[in-house]
Amino acid sequence: MPVIEANNLTKRFGPLTAVDHVSFSVEEGEILGFLGPNGAGKTTTLNMLATLLRPTSGTATVNGHDILEESDAVRRSIGFVFQDPTLDIELTGHENLDFHGRLYGLKRDVRQQRIKEILKVVQLTDRADDLVKTYSGGMKRRLEIARGLLHYPKVLFLDEPTLGLDPQTRRAIWEHIQRLNQDENITIILTTHYTEEADYLCDRIQIIDFGKIVALDTPDKLKARLEGDIVSLVFKDSAAIPKIKPLLEKKGWVRRVDEVASDNNHAAMSRMMQAMRGMASGNMGGMMPSMSFGGAAGRSKIPKHMPQKIVQGIGGGNGENGRDGGQRRLNLLVDDGGHRIPEIVKLVDRTGAVLESVELHKPTLDDVFLSVTGRNIRDERGSFMETVRRYRIVREARGQHVRG
Amino acid sequence: MVQPLSGQAIYVVLLRELKRYWRAKARIIASVAQSFFFLVIFGLGLGSFIGGFGGMNYLSYLGPGIIGMGLLFGSVFSGVSVIFDRQFGFMKEMLVAPVSRTSIILGKILGGAVTASIQGIILMTVAGLMGAFTPTPALAAGVLAAVGVMLLITAGFVGLGVTIGSALSDFHAFQLIATFVMWPLFMLSGVFFPIDMAPAPLQVAMLCDPMFYGVELLRWCLLGAGTPLLGPFGWLIALGVLAGFTAVMVGIGTYLFSRVQV
Repeated sequence: MPVIEANNLTKRFGPLTAVDHVSFSVEEGEILGFLGPNGAGKTTTLNMLATLLRPTSGTATVNGHDILEESDAVRRSIGFVFQDPTLDIELTGHENLDFHGRLYGLKRDVRQQRIKEILKVVQLTDRADDLVKTYSGGMKRRLEIARGLLHYPKVLFLDEPTLGLDPQTRRAIWEHIQRLNQDENITIILTTHYTEEADYLCDRIQIIDFGKIVALDTPDKLKARLEGDIVSLVFKDSAAIPKIKPLLEKKGWVRRVDEVASDNNHAAMSRMMQAMRGMASGNMGGMMPSMSFGGAAGRSKIPKHMPQKIVQGIGGGNGENGRDGGQRRLNLLVDDGGHRIPEIVKLVDRTGAVLESVELHKPTLDDVFLSVTGRNIRDERGSFMETVRRYRIVREARGQHVRG
Repeated sequence: MVQPLSGQAIYVVLLRELKRYWRAKARIIASVAQSFFFLVIFGLGLGSFIGGFGGMNYLSYLGPGIIGMGLLFGSVFSGVSVIFDRQFGFMKEMLVAPVSRTSIILGKILGGAVTASIQGIILMTVAGLMGAFTPTPALAAGVLAAVGVMLLITAGFVGLGVTIGSALSDFHAFQLIATFVMWPLFMLSGVFFPIDMAPAPLQVAMLCDPMFYGVELLRWCLLGAGTPLLGPFGWLIALGVLAGFTAVMVGIGTYLFSRVQV
């Protein structure tokens, strides 16, 4: 019998559908990952399963208990490690665990015994009596995971378990999670927007985008969907792409062609944010001379392609980031990619376009995400306005409807 | 909206409040010292000029009022700290547990009442050592009664603090609360002067201040039933008003907390 069964779970916040008719089931002992960009609806789904948020429609059972009817039984069946820290930093590690144990009604000797055990598991025994405010980020995270396990939940929910941690700590937490899953047979649901985390940890991955499940399978099977090799072409000039793309698509050995935004997404994102802020305060200056906003020109609708224009405008404006402007990269899914590269290069040469580099790699979950959603998981440019809007609404709404 | 109560949950939240209180030694020292300065500077300084009221020296008159000040500030602050729990995330840990919000907030109110009353007991001891209260056999009973009154006062004002804390989303408005809520409640509580010496409009304002009844009761407990400085009502009415205030504030605070957004 599945530990979790979700049936058409839906959550609307005003006009926005954060989670859209999501159904899935989780078997005992499984690690299921929700993979998706920020604002995709991952945390909202977890909050509904944890009875912190009431679904607009649909329902689910956790450990056989209905989330709408038996919230106490559901809460007893789960451990929840939140994305943001929820420890009392003025208490010691031991006291935080003790508080939790009492809150879940564990008897004194059981509590003491389990605290001792769990501290050993997360390797915090010798720091247990120090105040949590003296802990490092990784130690706090381990303590939160330990706390989530103290009442022996059937299912552990981990919301972005390694967000903001350094690679070593991340690796250590992954190993903890795996050990817990294997040794204690705890079913784990985690959300992440790190593909490598999902790939490393999860038995199955559920890709969520705009509140919908767009793929659900094992990491290997997901990757097998992209049989072949990824050949990545980076051009000197984005103008070459429209010419070359149809030529490549005609070749029988090219399975698919995806345009990918250039690499420097974080920089582009932050510049966009700055531009947005400038826009909000009416301080556009000479940044975007080609655009007009507001009622003056009788246009109250924000142009659809603003993000690109902003980037181009800014890039062109200060002269140093102009190359971030267009899409300069094509990803090809090719059979036996290594042998096709000379042919591809010849083809490109014939059109007169200039290649900057060519890369070859086996498909990763990043590529899978791109192929099922049409977007790069870390690239929020394509639908920038939409993403920011969703993110903001979900963030605000998340706070407003938490059930007690 | 009746939610099942869990004694264990109430107790554990109370325990947390005690631990945090005990650990914040600097805060205890600061607030006791603040009240101590009032006692010394006003009690002795202003006292040497005023002398006293109705044959009682000014320090004795001031003592219960200053204890009241400690109770008031300590308990409102303790209630408002639900904002901190929210900002630092610990609230989520409590809300995802299989216990009702009512249990959590009752634990919080009880914890705030106990810690603020501990503060009151410290101040009562300090005032006693300064000679504010005449040691008689009746005083022993009075002190016990005063502790009960303290718990009643503080439970009500923690409720007020929780009400404010549930309505506010962050801590920036706290200065406003101090200026427009806590200070008037304190100054109008009859701590510095007897109500019958005040002009009529001020008397009305004082009668609207729940803290006024609390200070009256503390005075009645600590200075003896024969004290001539009681307001227009006897102790029974003062106790009734205070109990009513506490019941209403705990009710409102609990209700608002059950709807609070995390």
